[in-house]
Amino acid sequence: MGVLMAMVVKDLKLLFRDKVTLFFIFGFPLLFAAFFGSIFSSGSSGSGMSVAVADLDQTTTSQLFVQSMDELDELRVERVEEAQARELTRKGKKTAYIILPKGFGQAYGSLFSGTPPEVIIGVDPSRKAEAGMLQGVMMKLGVKRFEQAFSNTDAMMDQLDMSLAALQDNPDMPADWKNLLNDYLPQMKQLVEQDGITSANDPGEPNDESTTDTSEGIGDALMPLKLLQEDVLVEKDGPTNAYSITMPQGMFWAIMGVVMGFGVALVQEKAQGTMTRLVVAPISRLQILGGKALGCFLALVLVLGVFFVLARVVFGVPIDYPQKVLFAVLSVATLFVGIMMFLAAIGKTERGMASVGWAVMMVFAMFGGGMIPLFAMPAWMISISNFSPVKWAILMFEGATWREFSYAEMLIPCSLMLVLGVVLFLAGSRLLRLES
Amino acid sequence: MIQMPMIQTPIIQTPMIQLNRVSRSFGDLLAVDQFSIGIPRGEIFGLLGPNGAGKSTLISLISGQLLPTSGSVLVNGLPPVSIAAKRQMGIAPQSLAVYEELSARDNLEFFGRLYGLNGAGLKSSCVKVLEFVGLSDRAADRVEHYSGGMKRRLNLAIALLHEPQVLLLDEPTVGVDPQSRNRLFESILALKAQGKTIVYTTHYMEEAEKLCDRVAIVEQGKLLALDSVDRLIRQHGGESLLSWSSAGVEQSIKTADPLSEIQRLLATGCDMSELSLARPNLEQVFLNLTGRHLRD
Repeated sequence: MGVLMAMVVKDLKLLFRDKVTLFFIFGFPLLFAAFFGSIFSSGSSGSGMSVAVADLDQTTTSQLFVQSMDELDELRVERVEEAQARELTRKGKKTAYIILPKGFGQAYGSLFSGTPPEVIIGVDPSRKAEAGMLQGVMMKLGVKRFEQAFSNTDAMMDQLDMSLAALQDNPDMPADWKNLLNDYLPQMKQLVEQDGITSANDPGEPNDESTTDTSEGIGDALMPLKLLQEDVLVEKDGPTNAYSITMPQGMFWAIMGVVMGFGVALVQEKAQGTMTRLVVAPISRLQILGGKALGCFLALVLVLGVFFVLARVVFGVPIDYPQKVLFAVLSVATLFVGIMMFLAAIGKTERGMASVGWAVMMVFAMFGGGMIPLFAMPAWMISISNFSPVKWAILMFEGATWREFSYAEMLIPCSLMLVLGVVLFLAGSRLLRLES
Repeated sequence: MIQMPMIQTPIIQTPMIQLNRVSRSFGDLLAVDQFSIGIPRGEIFGLLGPNGAGKSTLISLISGQLLPTSGSVLVNGLPPVSIAAKRQMGIAPQSLAVYEELSARDNLEFFGRLYGLNGAGLKSSCVKVLEFVGLSDRAADRVEHYSGGMKRRLNLAIALLHEPQVLLLDEPTVGVDPQSRNRLFESILALKAQGKTIVYTTHYMEEAEKLCDRVAIVEQGKLLALDSVDRLIRQHGGESLLSWSSAGVEQSIKTADPLSEIQRLLATGCDMSELSLARPNLEQVFLNLTGRHLRD
């Protein structure tokens, strides 16, 4: 194992000290991904979650509430009809819909009685982070109704009168609770009357509609909002983020950089004589080739890992299942190690390896989604792409991210890549002559 | 075509390196043809011949890089492909077998690990060989910044790292400046003093004359002659050329016994001034054996 690690460390040092190779591993792929990703981004400028809002209440209160949502940095609001809101979310064009049902405005103004105002949130159940964020944002807005109420004397007085009336009409409330509130609420009314509260903002219209259902009791009215979450089955025609397409493409170019770097270096060792030392040293042929393969494998895993981190952190590509990403990365790395070994065996010389390698990989790229995205390919090209390892690599990267393949869906392609990688490694090892 | 006499190689008990009727062909090309030699422990054994004579192929066969088409090769009684034999051999190939993007120290540490060296032992071996070849102060520099002579010295240092008993030096002074060359010669003689067995290939006869205990003249894969430098010259070098100036006239004569010839000339009262004696050398030996010059 010490020999293998020594070879891996040496090869990684050589790879990362070669500035040209480094550019083709990191620089070019990132430029490719960023450039084309920015071109094909769907005009979504600025940050914030894109939501469709339907106001079924159409009161001043509800409209002000929608406006306050619009003013938040966390959200990008589009006001639409209910049906359209649901449709946009179902089609993945909006992250979520928010519906303010009829009665929202009235409930919004009731602090001590009735039910809290309801807000319906529709979101893909797999988008837990987004759902959590929306709930937090809504609650934050909901708390403001208390601030608004407590900042206006008249509204406060009306609330207290309503609450006292509701209290008398509530047969189910325990006696000691009723006594306590019968003592507390009049005193509070008196306090408000005496001290008064100056209103800084318009609190909304007075509560002149019919009494809301109080069967929930006073305690429930003190909730900022009542959030009703609806699960939305989102139809995915494509990713929501253009970089979800261009980053896997960029990753392929990074793979190509590593494969060519290692392939050329392997053949170069024969030409420059260092392979002589390896052959003469007390190590086996398997250790020599295994060291090369392991170095290439680790370099691929490292590079792809960096790219996925950049994809998530910088370009906002959703990665909900890192385990699937790991599965894809390991399978793809194995496949391309085998390809590297086979190309090095065929190429025989540095020039040969460079020529054959680039020619083969470019053809794989053209038909495999390295240039034209997979989802944009015509049917005949999709048929041909099945023979390109690049297609399977990009598909698995996409499957682990925006396509959300299940493990079952990933199992066969990844297994095939693993098997093919091993077969190509063995074939290349047999063909490769280490002696000059 | 010059007919060569049968080479009588002396019997050496337990040679360090033994080639027994070794042949190696590459397709139609017979690179080594029925080669038999025995190299005792502690000898500097020269393989002298022009480019393409088969010297590097012989090195490859001894080191185990190539298998013979026929015949056998043994290193200290072991086949050279065995791990035990490989541990006893160090090679400085003709091409500079170093990683230029790495420093000298990185190169040594990597190759040392292949031979099972690690930790403090590896570090001390690196220090020792760097000092031996005079590269201690440049150990941290990348090899790409070295001169040709320095790269050759590093090439030798790597071969010495694991203290092998056998050293295979394939044209170790190619492209080297005179200062580095002399430094290499000193190093090689010091290694012989340590008891190492050295196989030294070269097409420079002066190197073979200077360093080697015995020299094998090789041409087209065949062993033409094998003996010490002096005996090779005596047997195959031809006569010495005695030149002098007498009364302003340049004169010269070929003689097998220059001392006797000088005495005879002095006895005749010949006025000899600017006397010079050109002894035959290995170049002459090769020319007499093959009809060609070493550098043809």
